[in-house]
Amino acid sequence: MAHMEYNVPSERWPAHPETATMEGKNKFIGFWIFLAGETTLFASLFATYLALKDSVPGEDHPLAADLFALPLAFVMTMFLLTSSLTSVYAIYHMRNNNFAKMQLWLGITVLLGLGFLSLEIYEFIEYVHHGHTFRSSAFGSAFYFLLGTHGFHVVIGLGWITLLILRNARRGISVYTAAKVNTASLYWHFIDVVWVFIFTIVYLLGVM
Amino acid sequence: MAEIKQEPMSKKKLDYVRRERTREMRQQIISFSLMIFLTFVAFGLVAMDVSPQFVIPIVIGMAFIQVILQFYYFMHMKDKGHEFAKLFIMTGIFFALSFVVTFIYIVWIGKPI
Repeated sequence: MAHMEYNVPSERWPAHPETATMEGKNKFIGFWIFLAGETTLFASLFATYLALKDSVPGEDHPLAADLFALPLAFVMTMFLLTSSLTSVYAIYHMRNNNFAKMQLWLGITVLLGLGFLSLEIYEFIEYVHHGHTFRSSAFGSAFYFLLGTHGFHVVIGLGWITLLILRNARRGISVYTAAKVNTASLYWHFIDVVWVFIFTIVYLLGVM
Repeated sequence: MAEIKQEPMSKKKLDYVRRERTREMRQQIISFSLMIFLTFVAFGLVAMDVSPQFVIPIVIGMAFIQVILQFYYFMHMKDKGHEFAKLFIMTGIFFALSFVVTFIYIVWIGKPI
């Protein structure tokens, strides 16, 4: 890689640092193509879930309305929604050439994401105790595959942002690292987009 | 490969760019409060046990509004230079909707083949 200038003065910091280089532009376009692919991936999982919802083998198997609890889904939604806002703050400070604040807000995003993830794990353990597992019914398979794929994305997003925070901690910010942070934040927003549909279609429509 | 080809900005230009960013931040906070509000309303409607025929379309509609806010304001799709992003996401959403409609029709509505 060519010589890279880190922590330049604000007068020389581009208005859109994330797409200031050819590499940044390519990342940006490529990542939106990837997100379109992710949309169709999650769409097929949602379609499967809607088709198989409440398809259970016997009377004693719990249904969606018996399992889901609104308060937990609400708290999880708040965690993820707020973490989306904190990553917006991170991008705001990245564009303003404020490295310390960018790291701080990325860190808060990771903490909120961890809160979400631990609630989801707690929720899954609870369901398994009620006899709702990946193998207990077609409903279970569709549910855990949809929620699990989303949870897996959360894990990847958390790992990704954590690695960015650690890797950039000592070298600071440049148009090279700005593009990386921007891509990770787009990914994190997309996770929230998917969650909006999960809490609507799985939880809100599930308890009715 | 990745040097900054940026001419130093004048003080005035820098102030302008900063102001624009603050303005954008304000829009993003407004859209965040809207998203929180929509979430409260959606959960509230379901918790109040209003009839499902009435609630389901409203709740799904509010999910779409939230996602549009997320894409346009949080992911900056309203900004210039996002034509490709729009094209890709619209294509993705087109496929997404057709998958969901097809599956629901095949399993729940249509007669068995």
